[in-house]
Amino acid sequence: MKAISFENFSYAYPKSGVVLEKLCFEVEQGSFTAIVGPSGAGKTTLCLAAAGVVPHYFGGRTGGTVVVQGIQTMDSTMGELAKDVALVLEDYESQLVAMTVEDEVAFGLENAGVDRKLIPQMVRETLQLVGLSGREQCEVGGLSGGQKQRLALAGALVTKPDILILDEPASALDPAGTEELYSLLGKLNEQGMTILVVEHDIAQVLPYIDQLVLLMEGRIAVAGQPEAALRKMSEESLFQEVIPPLQELRFLLEKHGCRFGAWRCEADAVRELSAVLQEASEVSRSA
Amino acid sequence: MLEMTGVSYHYQPGKPAVDNVSLCIRAGEFAAIAGRNGSGKTTLTRLVMSLIKPANGQIVLNGVNTSSQSPGDIARHVGYVFQNPDSQIFRDTVASEVAYGPEQLGFSAPEIASSVAEALEKTGLTALADVYPRSLSRGQKQRVTIASALAMKPDILILDEPTSGQDAKEKESLLRILTELNEQGKTIILVTHDMDILARYAKRVVVMASGAKVFDGPVAELFAQGNDIRKWGLRAPAIMNISRKLSKYGVFPALTATELSQQIAERVQRGRM
Amino acid sequence: MKQLAPLTKLVFTVAVSIWAMLLTSLPGLGLLAVAQVVTLAVCGLLGRTYKGILSLTGFAVVLILVQYALGSELEAAIAGGLRMIDMATVFVILLATTKMQSLTTALVSQCRVPQEYAFMFTTALRFIPDFLAESKAVREAQACRGYTGKGGIVRRFTSYLALVGPLVLRAVSRSETMALSLELRGFGAGRRSFSTDVGLKFRDYCTLLGMIALTAGFTAGRIVYGW
Repeated sequence: MKAISFENFSYAYPKSGVVLEKLCFEVEQGSFTAIVGPSGAGKTTLCLAAAGVVPHYFGGRTGGTVVVQGIQTMDSTMGELAKDVALVLEDYESQLVAMTVEDEVAFGLENAGVDRKLIPQMVRETLQLVGLSGREQCEVGGLSGGQKQRLALAGALVTKPDILILDEPASALDPAGTEELYSLLGKLNEQGMTILVVEHDIAQVLPYIDQLVLLMEGRIAVAGQPEAALRKMSEESLFQEVIPPLQELRFLLEKHGCRFGAWRCEADAVRELSAVLQEASEVSRSA
Repeated sequence: MLEMTGVSYHYQPGKPAVDNVSLCIRAGEFAAIAGRNGSGKTTLTRLVMSLIKPANGQIVLNGVNTSSQSPGDIARHVGYVFQNPDSQIFRDTVASEVAYGPEQLGFSAPEIASSVAEALEKTGLTALADVYPRSLSRGQKQRVTIASALAMKPDILILDEPTSGQDAKEKESLLRILTELNEQGKTIILVTHDMDILARYAKRVVVMASGAKVFDGPVAELFAQGNDIRKWGLRAPAIMNISRKLSKYGVFPALTATELSQQIAERVQRGRM
Repeated sequence: MKQLAPLTKLVFTVAVSIWAMLLTSLPGLGLLAVAQVVTLAVCGLLGRTYKGILSLTGFAVVLILVQYALGSELEAAIAGGLRMIDMATVFVILLATTKMQSLTTALVSQCRVPQEYAFMFTTALRFIPDFLAESKAVREAQACRGYTGKGGIVRRFTSYLALVGPLVLRAVSRSETMALSLELRGFGAGRRSFSTDVGLKFRDYCTLLGMIALTAGFTAGRIVYGW
């Protein structure tokens, strides 16, 4: 059973044009997928569809189906889906409902009817996971932007969802914070959580993802293994600006006849380029 | 042109947000202010705009000490573009929104019309002049706020994280606009933690850490420091890092993939010949 | 006082209001007010709340003068003022001694108030600091565009739109996102549990009995002695 499956899914908000058109793609259990695309492509709507928000919450017109953990979202309710899927919205500040950090994290557990005695421990563990240990009594209003974003994540993680969807989770974070966040998501993914993330900076997610999807004007332009997807984007000039410099470098060098393995991070690139340059300098010296 | 001497400020006693910073920005510069969230970079710009007054030290703008001036006075010379365009946009059309600043500064009606038209043109928004601003994308809204600042005809433009929340194409287009403005003589001060943008567009960078100025110099010099910059919360762009690590093969620091690929391709070709 | 369950305190609030309506004599009403202020002092909360109490007293004085000017007898007017102080002070006690979270838990689990209404209060409170920060950000942004807030009364009123506009739009968008987020997190989907323990203990039952006794006493006093 696939974690999420879009089968010819189309959607238009009420009184608006078509936002998603005949989407066909799947998210495997335990995989890490990144969705990229220009503003207005429909990435947020795609996230909302996977959580059942669309069409239950907004109404509108739909075509095709979305199947999450074997359940068709249209036959279910948002409350039912909330048991398996957690969604962290781009406007994380407006997602925070409680006065204190511990109340905020406990909220999801209370909604699910979890026994009162189990809640404090679960809250403590989740806060530790996101790096907010010991802040149970802190007021939500007094946290920094980055801390609020991590709190929103904690609120989603505490119910131990099978699927975690995040819409631009690093927008308030500086480079160090973004690295920490994706490192945490990578760890969660290793432990079996299926993750779907919308992100503008592919380089940050590349070391962790199994699948890359490019959404343009409501349609899937490219979907597949990150390596192959980026190559296709480069060859067909699809939203090239988003290709990370590392991959851009590789594709340019391949045009000059060099062959390299997949570069997931800078260290890979440095290793292979050193080898190539070493060989080139040895050859030219011996010549 | 803009000179800060020994400036300090604290939000809470004992914890300086800006600690004894001295800085001089000359006309026509394209400078970036970088640092972690909370390092004091935004506080520094708020001091320049007189939204807060320094506890110590002084700020001199075009030869005038700003201690007695209000943000409105300073707005005639320095345009400030805030990070979140939704904090200021309130009118029904892009053109009337951009006209707000000149109206408040007391421009005459023909002056308002011409400065709005010019600002819209420079930011590529002329076609969107009658659109309801709230329906625009984040990148377009950011251009509206830049146009709003430009319409007041400042010499200096300060932008706080203008590229946050935008896709790669929008970022490029925004930076192109800023580069053009800089070429036309405007001084640009960019507060950002996007290292890629900083490396490719800024000429000079000031790094803030825990309220103090820890680096002030050309961008190339910043990245020549290697991994030291990590303690300031910064990361060198990938291409720059790689070219530095390949320097023992005669590779020079490169900013773009194109530059680096050309260097490497040349060496490989030489090896083949 | 702090150790009593929220439900007991809610009942207390209602009880004091009933007593204030029952009692008609000035000494009676005055004693009730003094007793409440003493309660606050005993709990160590007077420092935080005295400003509120003072403004209530100020309002009461105004109320008394207005009633007197409109033709009431002096004694009746003063009674009216004291009644107001009594009924308002008890709310101060309620809010100063009870965490918002406990209050909403009690309202939902023990008073059968629908979840949505009870949560309206906590979420509104939660947004006050954010709203203040946002309001400051808007003021600064517009100040950098030359907004001064000076000028004639009409001019100031119309120029205020520059501050109000972005705030209102942001508040609307925020409430939409929050409503969506609540559903996403399963709010209202089924039986919920509560982190806070608001069960009634022995001292709560004692206090409740005490209040019933007092109410009976005051009623008798009113009928028999004209308190």
